[in-house]
Amino acid sequence: MYEVVVAINIGIFILLSLSLNIVTGYAGQPNIGHAAFFGIGAYTSAILTSKIGFNFLISLFLSGIIAGIVGMILGMISIRVREDFLAITTIGINFVVVAIFRYSPFFGGSFGMAVPTPTVFGIEFNNYTYLSLIYLFIVLIILFLRKIENSWFGMALGGIRNNEEAAESIGINVKKFKIVAFTISTFIAGITGCIYAHYMSFISSDDFGFLTSITILSMTVIGGLGTIQGPIIGAFILGIIPEIFRFVADYRMLLYGGLLVLMMRFQPHGLFGKESFLLNKLVNLFGRGNRW
Amino acid sequence: MFLQQFVNGLVVGSIYALTAAGASMVYGILRILDIANAGAYAIGAYTGWLIYGLTGSILISFIGAMVITGIFGFIIQKSLYLPQMKQSAIVPLITSIGLFIFIEDSLRLIFGAHIKDFAVEVPIGNIVLVNANISGIWILILLVTAFLFLILWWIIVKTKIGLAWRATAQDMEIAQAMGVNTKQLVALNFFLGYGFAAIAGIMVGIYYNSIFPNMGDVPAYKMLAIIVLGGLGNPFGTVIAALFIGLIETFVGGYIGFFLPRDAIAFLTLILIILLKPQGLFAKNN
Amino acid sequence: MVSKRSKILIALVTISLLLISLVGCTKKDENTQKTPIKIGFFAPITGPAAADGQSVLNAAKLAVENINKQGGINGREIELVYYDDQLDSKQAVSIAQKLTTKDGVVAVISGSYSGPTRAVAPIFEKAKIPMISAYGVHPDITKGGDYVFRQSFIGPIQGKAGAYLAVNMLKAKRIAILHMDNDFGTSLADAFKQKAEELGATITSVNPFAMGEKEFTPLLTKIKQENPDAIYLVAYAGEGAQIVRQAKSLNIKAQLIGTEGVDSTTQFLQVAGKDAEGLIITTNLDRDSDRQVVKDFLSQYKEKFGFAPDMVAASTYDAFMVLAHVMKKYGTNPDQIKDGMYQVKDFDGVTGIIKGYNKLGEVTKAVQVQIVKNGEFHHYGVIDDPSIITPPEQ
Repeated sequence: MYEVVVAINIGIFILLSLSLNIVTGYAGQPNIGHAAFFGIGAYTSAILTSKIGFNFLISLFLSGIIAGIVGMILGMISIRVREDFLAITTIGINFVVVAIFRYSPFFGGSFGMAVPTPTVFGIEFNNYTYLSLIYLFIVLIILFLRKIENSWFGMALGGIRNNEEAAESIGINVKKFKIVAFTISTFIAGITGCIYAHYMSFISSDDFGFLTSITILSMTVIGGLGTIQGPIIGAFILGIIPEIFRFVADYRMLLYGGLLVLMMRFQPHGLFGKESFLLNKLVNLFGRGNRW
Repeated sequence: MFLQQFVNGLVVGSIYALTAAGASMVYGILRILDIANAGAYAIGAYTGWLIYGLTGSILISFIGAMVITGIFGFIIQKSLYLPQMKQSAIVPLITSIGLFIFIEDSLRLIFGAHIKDFAVEVPIGNIVLVNANISGIWILILLVTAFLFLILWWIIVKTKIGLAWRATAQDMEIAQAMGVNTKQLVALNFFLGYGFAAIAGIMVGIYYNSIFPNMGDVPAYKMLAIIVLGGLGNPFGTVIAALFIGLIETFVGGYIGFFLPRDAIAFLTLILIILLKPQGLFAKNN
Repeated sequence: MVSKRSKILIALVTISLLLISLVGCTKKDENTQKTPIKIGFFAPITGPAAADGQSVLNAAKLAVENINKQGGINGREIELVYYDDQLDSKQAVSIAQKLTTKDGVVAVISGSYSGPTRAVAPIFEKAKIPMISAYGVHPDITKGGDYVFRQSFIGPIQGKAGAYLAVNMLKAKRIAILHMDNDFGTSLADAFKQKAEELGATITSVNPFAMGEKEFTPLLTKIKQENPDAIYLVAYAGEGAQIVRQAKSLNIKAQLIGTEGVDSTTQFLQVAGKDAEGLIITTNLDRDSDRQVVKDFLSQYKEKFGFAPDMVAASTYDAFMVLAHVMKKYGTNPDQIKDGMYQVKDFDGVTGIIKGYNKLGEVTKAVQVQIVKNGEFHHYGVIDDPSIITPPEQ
């Protein structure tokens, strides 16, 4: 069903944006190569299920682990390197990872890889299964993030984002927290990659390039960095634009680019970030609600 | 073969240097990564192509494109980047990405998606040095790049404006306190930077006899790698970094073959150097 | 217990989902006598492959116009339902879902590259809607099932034909390969190497490059050192034009052999100029053909759109024409179309006489060989040796 497929696409973007937000929103470390981890998760699962015959659940977990390990390495790099350098390094990692997928016969090379449809407890997966799985994870992650936000870990990340030296001086182990943030963020991206691979039943290196990373970053920023609802809204808006604006297909990219510019110019904290015009208007309209 | 590869590497590096100059200058002053600079590159190429079609003079095309694109740069910084100065660096980055997408698609809608040829009679002939074939356009690129960077060097090192630029690049607030008109400086910076990108775009268009809306794609991300390697904000470090990357790509391709795509090799080099020298090839110096 | 903000969010999400459903909905026509027959089509109209996307969309529109002008399908008009996939597999998937569940199309033609086409083939198979891939080369596309067909040669066939051309027709003994790193480049290069070595030639080196590459001097200088008789280049028009230009400026004397990837007047010949002179390519469009169908297509396309058509346009046009022929003869519901496709025999297409589609849905037709002479593509030869052009059955 068309709507289910659109909902799945958006769900995948929501997972990717929420995970990116941990590193770029909460911890303030720019990662413009997030799609690489999405890809690592996807290819890991493809290899494990089609070449080695692991079952889906184990694959799912391992995809996250492997992506998380690579992410941890990135975290360790991020400690040595200044912020602007980090941003470009993440782009570099994106390119190199995609290049490896494209040039290695082991990963299917330029032909990509076919990914089998999983059967768990006797049920063969269909689009509704993927939809439920994705939104289940979204809920789990939201709960997880809410816990973090109000915890010592969340405060620490916020401190690091605002002023690393100050954070260090009050006893926060900046290095450790950065690495943890990267690991969690990429672990989630890896799991998302696994689900994506089985859903699409065919993956190729083109799916995980720099363009995808930029899209994920844009979603996170447009919705509002550092919040939970921000990336969700951002993913939703930018994910639905290609569908809604099919009738002006020729101008879609123009609209997309223009939207990014206008948003950043007039609502740099994101549509639903703090100080957002829209959020304030809506809250006033519907009366004061409790904090999300 | 070595000489051939070496000269080619220099040519490729020179193009990278010209394209990265603008982004480097923008970073030097505003500390933002400006991907829209690659959009200026494409705009410059199309503008130069149009002007050449009308006047038949490559010199007028260079100057005309540089001015028009420079004005575009001025407008961008005034309406978009200056007001965003107080925001975190990610905001102008996303803005520049949106702007870049907008520019590329506008070019596609206006001029069509197909490659247009940009045939120009290059006034310099091809020469053969030892056993290396060096085409006229290569020589032109090397000369123009050297010339423009010489002018830039002279401006930055020998003039009062250059002094103000270096002061602002070091610390904008202090420079302002000392009486530097930073707003004007930023404007000039963008005008020049975008103008350089325009010239790079035209030369690439002529060299490959191709102009197309997506021509800014590779420069968009590669220039970021080069300015980081060059020490972020140091235009001359950028030149060295650009030549370095151009040479590496060429020698790898020429002696080993592209075991990874060219761009991945450039980034791999970047990553390795960053790991060894986290401040880049040259730390920021004035 | 749900906070106010969550309620607002949920409301917004629901409204938007409803919006897409409405926008996506088309009235479900019963297939009565006079209602138009809908054919689905998708191509990378915007995005990194916009030039090809525009090219094939033009061809699609021309095809539909011609079919309708000639009386449609037994009196009924066909209507083109087309979408832009931006060369993104995810978008292709949602387009495929839309076409099969909302738009009421009876068949679909893919004007896109291998990636998106490969990703959606299973969806059309499952929905039992026939899909013809106009020019995608990925071998797995047709393995999607009975409902998937391919209009253009599978990669290995063209690669083998190239080897035959190089070794048997052009007598080359030492050949260097320069190929794009995508599936088109790799599949042709691999097949070429295998067949050429089988025929007794030596491959001096195999050199991949990234799509979009413009600077070939490093690779060409390396190849020049090897002193081959011929260079087999597998590239699209943009890259191909640079290869021939730079080969000339490096004074390389080897014979250049190309593929259908560079079969484009505007994107290749115009950019390459006189440096393209003497290039010989394998392709499926014979510009010198004296068959009326070809002559008409070339002149109509040029007149309507202002520039000469390229290979992807020709393949797309043929896909529509074959489809129309099948619908006229066998019926307009999807199963009839599917069965009809397998019955096609010796169809007079722009891209050659289409001998038929085998059990896998692969096309059988001769490979055209063209040479660039005086700035234009001209007939050079034909390869119809069955051992080369017969596609695999599985």
